[in-house]
Amino acid sequence: MNKTIKINYLSRVEGEGGISIHMKNGKVTKLNLKIFEAPRFFEAFLVGRHFSDVMDFTARICGICPVAYQMSSVHALEKIFGVETDKSIKALRRLMYCGEWIESHALHVYLLNGPDFYGIESAWAGKEYLNIAKKGLRLKKIGNNILSILGGRPIHPVSVRAGGFYKVPHKKSLTAMLPELKKAYDESVSAIKWAAGLPFDENPLDMGYVSLSHDNEYPLNEGRVISNNGLDLTMDGFLKKIQEYQMEYSTALHSGIKEDTGVRPYIVGPISRLNLNHEKLPSELRNIIKESGVALPIKNTQMGIIARSVEIAYAFNEAIKIIEDYEEPDKPFIEFEPAAGEAVWITEAPRGILIHRYEIDENGYVKNCAIIPPTSQNLGHIEMNIYHFLQNNMDKPADFIKTACERIIRSYDPCISCSVHVHIHN
Amino acid sequence: MKKPKIGIFKFASCDGCQLSILNLEDEILDFIELFDISYFREASDSPLKGQFDIAIVEGSISAERQRQDIMDIRERSRRLITIGACATSGGLQALRNLASLSSYKQYVYPSPDFIDALPASTPISEHVFVDYELWGCPINKEAMVETMVSFLIGKRPGIPKYSLCMDCKGKGIPCLLVTNGEPCLGPITKTGCGVLCPSFGKACYGCFGPKEEANIESLLKQFQDMGLTQNECIQLLDKMNTYAYRKVRLEGR
Repeated sequence: MNKTIKINYLSRVEGEGGISIHMKNGKVTKLNLKIFEAPRFFEAFLVGRHFSDVMDFTARICGICPVAYQMSSVHALEKIFGVETDKSIKALRRLMYCGEWIESHALHVYLLNGPDFYGIESAWAGKEYLNIAKKGLRLKKIGNNILSILGGRPIHPVSVRAGGFYKVPHKKSLTAMLPELKKAYDESVSAIKWAAGLPFDENPLDMGYVSLSHDNEYPLNEGRVISNNGLDLTMDGFLKKIQEYQMEYSTALHSGIKEDTGVRPYIVGPISRLNLNHEKLPSELRNIIKESGVALPIKNTQMGIIARSVEIAYAFNEAIKIIEDYEEPDKPFIEFEPAAGEAVWITEAPRGILIHRYEIDENGYVKNCAIIPPTSQNLGHIEMNIYHFLQNNMDKPADFIKTACERIIRSYDPCISCSVHVHIHN
Repeated sequence: MKKPKIGIFKFASCDGCQLSILNLEDEILDFIELFDISYFREASDSPLKGQFDIAIVEGSISAERQRQDIMDIRERSRRLITIGACATSGGLQALRNLASLSSYKQYVYPSPDFIDALPASTPISEHVFVDYELWGCPINKEAMVETMVSFLIGKRPGIPKYSLCMDCKGKGIPCLLVTNGEPCLGPITKTGCGVLCPSFGKACYGCFGPKEEANIESLLKQFQDMGLTQNECIQLLDKMNTYAYRKVRLEGR
């Protein structure tokens, strides 16, 4: 029995990819997650640029998660220059990240992934779905509003700089958001129950989850890198622990964790973060998860929609807390002298850990850099997940397999535009 | 009236300008009442088929296959609008036009031979006729609405092409260039962002590309008088709209 499955151009994902599968006599003989997004060579043209350009440049890697790129780069640069920002700046950066998590997750949950559970081709293709889509758009808009207040606009915000911000908001412009944030929080809490009630296929998978971990907060900008397999490393240590490799069919590099037996794929993103950090969530959210009947750890990537819904609620909750506690800093940024050096920094982008490494020369110009986006870390895991699915479903009709594969891929919220910017570092 | 059929297409880009359409949270549902969004890969499974009244194109041409694809899209479309710095000006990735492709490939990929990339990243207008260009990195979503409504009622979109300074003055922001001595691209850059950077105390870095009849040389001379090196001056222009600023400079000579 021979079977070939081909998806030339995946839909409802960011960027350009496809998949090609061949099965013969009950065996998968080919499984290529094809990434054909045109490369843009960011790491190459960052070399020779002044460090102050880095945040504006790396933001352009991704229109959906520009803040993630700005956060990983600004922290890496500050580490090189020995700049320690104060409490208010840290809080504002966290608030900004909350805004991005909300807009990015709401986009995926309600407009890209949600239609899968209702068997429709887009968020506006079914009348009964329209109200769900509207709710998603409402939540997304508030996430974007946070970004506009802090950075001028949601896509490629302009305010982040090494040492702090170009300008910080007044307390009253933030507190003005509180009523709508509180309303949105309530709405996002009930959305967890909605997500938990969606129909999921039985496809549990033994996964290696990787995320940041922080002593007293749900991880965003700081922490160590941990896994469910006992990994507990510094950011530098983690970069040394992974191996990147290139496949002929992909303009994005793959990566895996180096082990004695070879390179093992791992998963980053909301499922990993929630599985490894749920005890850092406010007790109200932990209770909602429990009441909704969600068993942790999540072992089915289709349930990423639940993890994203939990994180939307968390981000609203955190945004409210940050705004209530916010005290305007004396100065929007700290003055410093650039110095030569190198550093690795990792933050939690909506899709998972985003690794940046920079080497800066004595005049403040980039000498070398490496950027490892979450989606390229997930590629190997997506292929493994599909392989696992195929082994149990090989005899099913081609159309069924095709739809299921698309759904598996989409459940990772792959950002293919991001993933083609990877520089081999070792 | 039959709804105009829209196709939204992507080339080399960050997806941000397409996202600006999905960021029209209050208008998107009206939008789909007025237009038949028949192809939008980022948001819908609906396959590519037939003709379009309007093609909305994001991204630059930077790989061989894209040269074929853009011609196919043009042939299918009555009108073609480009959105964003990549589609109108080659984008940030057009910085590679100034370097050697093979060195870039080698820097980024261990097996550079697998990579299909053209030596230059170019705007859509270098390949096919473009009916209207919407500038910005990213585009302004209100400008997107204005453009679509204009096409619907058959008028020219009312989007200004004058410099950022005009709107900056209108907002009463102290001039970063004259007062603070910051190398601000405002005088040579199209307005459109809502004067974001100056209102954050940051010099304009040219998201909306050169304004009509931009006098780039004169501004660069002022930057040099302020003490900037030639390399620093060039790097100010070599950002998301490097291709457009460089073109204006060449044509001005």
